Amino acid sequence: MQATLIIVNYNGRELLARSLPAALAAAHRAGDHEVVVADDGSSDDSAELVVYHHPEAKLLALRHRGFGAACNTAVAAAETGAVVLLNSDVVLQPDALPPLLDALARPHVFAVGCKFIGPDGSLADAVGNRTSGEWHRGLLHLQHETEPDRLRETCPQLYANGGGMACWRDKWQALGGFDDLYQPFYWEDVDLGYRAWGRGWRVLYEPASVAVHEQGSTIGRLHRLREIELTSARNAVLFAWKNLLDPRLFRRMMAAQSRWAADDVLIGGLPPRTRALWAAVGRLRAAARRRRQEQRERTVSDPEILTRARGEVT
Amino acid sequence: MSGKWQEARLAREGHAQGSCPTGTVLLLTFARRGEENAIRVALQLLASEFPGAQVVALATPVSLPVLRALGVEDSIIVEPGRSGRQVLKDASRRRPRAAAIVYSDGAGAHLKLELAALFSGAPRTVRCVAGEWWDVIGRLRLLWMVAGKSLLSLGCLVAGMKVSGIAWCCLRVAQVAAGGARARRP
Repeated sequence: MQATLIIVNYNGRELLARSLPAALAAAHRAGDHEVVVADDGSSDDSAELVVYHHPEAKLLALRHRGFGAACNTAVAAAETGAVVLLNSDVVLQPDALPPLLDALARPHVFAVGCKFIGPDGSLADAVGNRTSGEWHRGLLHLQHETEPDRLRETCPQLYANGGGMACWRDKWQALGGFDDLYQPFYWEDVDLGYRAWGRGWRVLYEPASVAVHEQGSTIGRLHRLREIELTSARNAVLFAWKNLLDPRLFRRMMAAQSRWAADDVLIGGLPPRTRALWAAVGRLRAAARRRRQEQRERTVSDPEILTRARGEVT
Repeated sequence: MSGKWQEARLAREGHAQGSCPTGTVLLLTFARRGEENAIRVALQLLASEFPGAQVVALATPVSLPVLRALGVEDSIIVEPGRSGRQVLKDASRRRPRAAAIVYSDGAGAHLKLELAALFSGAPRTVRCVAGEWWDVIGRLRLLWMVAGKSLLSLGCLVAGMKVSGIAWCCLRVAQVAAGGARARRP
């Protein structure tokens, strides 16, 4: 199976100097897969790094439109059936590709996520390993497995972290790729995985495919912590508005959200949910349009998606 | 209101160090992650202002180990299946001399803890924002604060319901337009 490895980069020259050689080595070892750097309009000399130091990689120079849009353009431009998306802060290990692509070849699979470890080799702070979720008080609460014993086998997961995942290009296109509702960042990969499960496809976790992830080093460099928290919270609301179709859970969600502002006075010290709700209202019409689309395409119910993603038999 | 000013006032009222060696002080905190230092500061403050008084905390099963680790031996447990009324009854039965509220981010919220302080029957409430300020207020002032924040909370609830109502209508219409909530459900 031929695949295109796509590294999405925005002003990450230093990170790219580590991740690109690793991706090239992994691609060469697994059978000469193409490596593309999708540069999202960087103003540093990332492009020069690719052209002069790694001419074997292809440069896709884009106008700056954010992570999701860059991924969508790069996947659309790929010429292979499978694509591997990598963040510029993800360093692929040399033997990572074959198990990732083997898992992708299994029936009904849309995407496969890597095993992420921190720069020190630990799992404690790694995000995106064997992901699962649970609807609670109006939001989908995401869980990431950190117990090494539970990360030894290929298994289903809710979504593959966009920082290191393989997927089928045709299914990606059918899903419409990463949704720009979540611009500029976060939750687009959760949304994609959730929608794939909703269409009856599967998302897997492959522990034999290891990648080192310097979590937050891309976004953390470019945005303030408060801004990141608020964007993430707003996108969690938008995700629920777009995807939660189950009538009972939907009613619960709306009831919970109506109490958030009052809870801020009653309890205090909570995540910025109320501000996130206000921020999400600005994208309500767009969320409603996506919800209509989702209603048409969905074949699996919300509770069933979470059950299947946990690998439980129903 | 500064700490020194309060010290003088406490001395006048006979609550300064050494004057009341016994009794119970109710500690009210959510004991969230990262608030350990704030609780530690509050406990030091209570030890100096109410020497010899036993500190009793209102604790959940989650916050209990945190409070124990900080040296709070006695707790009234707030857990599912136990009504708030029962918990407050237990608290007021101890006849606390004061209730101490540990605020994590200014004194703008925490209405729940202020309500607990009010209904515990403690004649005084120590408000403590770790590293910033602390003061002692009487029941009347606490009542005013609780009334104001209750109104604010009610206003927020109404505003939240309005926003959620608009969102609900918009999203529900979108869903129904695409074939209804039960369309294509397995």
